[in-house]
Amino acid sequence: MKTTKLALVLAFLTALRFPGIALAQTDPGVRSNTGINAGQPLASVSANPNDLAFFQTGLAQFNEHQTVTGDNPGLGPRFNLDSCGACHSQPASGGTSPSSGIFPNVGPNPQSQVIANGIVNGSTNAIPFFVLVNGPVREARFPFFFDQFGNANPNAPNGGVEDLFTVSGRSDAGSCSLPQPSFNAARAANNIIFRIPTPTFGTGLMANIDDSTLLANHAAQAGNNLGISGTFNHNGNDGTISRFGWKAQNKSLMIFAGEAYNVEMGISNELFPQDRPLPGEDQLGSGLPANCLNLAGIGYPEDITHSGGTSASTVTSDVGLFVAFMQFLDQPTPSTTSPGGATSIANGRRLFSAIGCATCHTPSLATQPSNLTPGLGNATASLFSDIEIHHMGTVLADNVSQGGAGGDQFRTAPLWGLGQRIFFLHDGRCSDLLCAIEAHESNGGEATTVEAIFDQQLTPSQQQDILNFLRSL
Amino acid sequence: MHIKCVRSLLLFGLSAPLLAGAQGAPQNGGDFSDNSPTKKLPTDVILVKGAWPSSSDFATPLPEGGRLADGVYKNQYFGLTYALPTDWTEKYTGPPPSDTGYYVLAQIRPADKFKGKSKGSILIVAQDLFFTLAPAGNTLDLIYLHNKGLSADYRVEQPPTLVRIANHSFVRFDYGSPVAELHWRVLATQIRCHVVQFVFIGRDIKLTEDLIEEMNKMSLPEEAGPVSGRGGGDVPVCIKDYANGENVTERVDPLFAERRFNPVPVRIIIDKEGKVKHIHFLSAFPDQAKAITDALSQWRFRRYLRDGKPLEVETGIMFGHAPRPMTSTAKNAATE
Repeated sequence: MKTTKLALVLAFLTALRFPGIALAQTDPGVRSNTGINAGQPLASVSANPNDLAFFQTGLAQFNEHQTVTGDNPGLGPRFNLDSCGACHSQPASGGTSPSSGIFPNVGPNPQSQVIANGIVNGSTNAIPFFVLVNGPVREARFPFFFDQFGNANPNAPNGGVEDLFTVSGRSDAGSCSLPQPSFNAARAANNIIFRIPTPTFGTGLMANIDDSTLLANHAAQAGNNLGISGTFNHNGNDGTISRFGWKAQNKSLMIFAGEAYNVEMGISNELFPQDRPLPGEDQLGSGLPANCLNLAGIGYPEDITHSGGTSASTVTSDVGLFVAFMQFLDQPTPSTTSPGGATSIANGRRLFSAIGCATCHTPSLATQPSNLTPGLGNATASLFSDIEIHHMGTVLADNVSQGGAGGDQFRTAPLWGLGQRIFFLHDGRCSDLLCAIEAHESNGGEATTVEAIFDQQLTPSQQQDILNFLRSL
Repeated sequence: MHIKCVRSLLLFGLSAPLLAGAQGAPQNGGDFSDNSPTKKLPTDVILVKGAWPSSSDFATPLPEGGRLADGVYKNQYFGLTYALPTDWTEKYTGPPPSDTGYYVLAQIRPADKFKGKSKGSILIVAQDLFFTLAPAGNTLDLIYLHNKGLSADYRVEQPPTLVRIANHSFVRFDYGSPVAELHWRVLATQIRCHVVQFVFIGRDIKLTEDLIEEMNKMSLPEEAGPVSGRGGGDVPVCIKDYANGENVTERVDPLFAERRFNPVPVRIIIDKEGKVKHIHFLSAFPDQAKAITDALSQWRFRRYLRDGKPLEVETGIMFGHAPRPMTSTAKNAATE
């Protein structure tokens, strides 16, 4: 009897000490009670009519749907979707993958609707197995080429994007007939990986951080006692630190936009002037068939600077406008009170640093003076990234090499705006923060010790504080 | 009967690829394979490695070559044997060495069967003093820099202090995080111009002190201490920047086929005749390692003599794109 009473008293005292024990820690989910906290231009852009006009024209272009011919020509012959803004839409234009029924209800995965919406012909294209109505938006890559027997050949790295859809069968595509890549065979061979769209909020600030700042931060973090090192990916032409994309493989927003226009939508431009064959089509020495070239009938590149334009925004190419839009996007606005209240968020922020998450997810970095707009210069970019690439180990490895990044190295994902993101990690495998955190530990990963501290040494209430903090971003 | 059956299966197995070929299986090797694969790629394996460690031979021990077996971590390179506490284990191996010479040698945590009240982590890491970004020439320098650079998230609980562990001198540094209610205990000693650190992280100070006490059972090489490098036995003397100036009598620069921008830290052992005996790439792409190996095989060094007798020398060379020059306050990492 006495023992029972003592146990009850102890349980009560423990519950007082660790209130989280009674209720297990949970991801609060997409923050929906603070409005949409991303997608606005920098204040200095809003204050300048010319810059604002560029931003708004860029936004419109970003959301424009392209067709093979017509007023917005150049789509295909292969593509993942017909608009930047369709994929980069959560929680606002410039963001990342949407999903139905989750704030702010942008809509279903647009890739799942391409047949219904008449973007592709259903008799010549099938929706790949990994495209689901509730998302995420995905691009696919085959890490290795297949050998003659249909097996993936580990001695023949591929890693290029395998576009999901073709223009074949569209009324504006003429006789161009292209098959979709063999996604099912790739799945059977365990030779397929995915990427989801990276959000572009605040990327103008990221572009404006000098290499010296990144190097100084790298050196300052070297004394961590957490098993973390990290390095940088570099631009192959000038050797400077590259920073955009899941593996920090792209040097600038211009390259990022130009490549995406070409790879994701099949639109040639001044940075990537040819239509893009799949990696296998080039490997076989064939390239694209003649009847799939110049489908727009306007020659190459399909997107150009317009010398006949009458204003800055009508002269500028689509890619230039995408850049104007992205670089003028402000960083997301975090909440100080939601979810979980101000105390929990503040505590979670301190814990996030104390247990070592901030060693890689650097809370903020200073930008250099800007020649574009005052808001980008001498500013604090609260990106929660060191822009370094880190070994993430076997669980997250995708066996795709990009620039200097190997198969398990990824750029520290910036966490700004995390509170209103639905899908996490490079392939969108998680929609729960705990799942994403758990994936940080594996053989060969730098974050294993930090993850173990989170998992094994924090109390549930401390873990909840960190989750609340992350969803406040 | 059984043997015949096996023979039949064997013949069938041998002929299957031929049959497949006869049926015109190899349509292409690109994106459109519509053959049914007979093999699946393994999951959870890093097949595309990027810049990665390698060495010129398999016989010479490497810093990252330590292994945990039967509850004992052994590292032949460092001459280190450390028996883990009961029911502690390594669940996940660490990352490869970094291009700044940082090694995660072991990540130790309570096993699933552990029945203690509180848990913790033991991290065994090493920092190569030839390639560190910090202006540190020895253990004290490095740990003092860690102390100095500690962020506001932490509170110093005991500044760097010399202690004796397993009959060797260590630098001990204690700090903690009030908000996380966690404590770090760093015990560092120097072996072969590396600062080898045992990092204990946990909530329970008593548990941590017990774990530190257990460190007294470990065995270390004679040279282990705040400053090292004298070598002895099979261990070469380690000297920072030995591959410079008049020490190098013949030098051939590597011919790289591709321009890359990653740092390529290389440790070499020079034999008593002045030739390169062993090359360890901490981080290099295979083509870089090949070019550097071809070049270093042609290098010749002045023999290193102590008391008139030639000795093997271990030193470091940074090829490629160095991340950051050492500051002028950097000290030599050797006692020689």
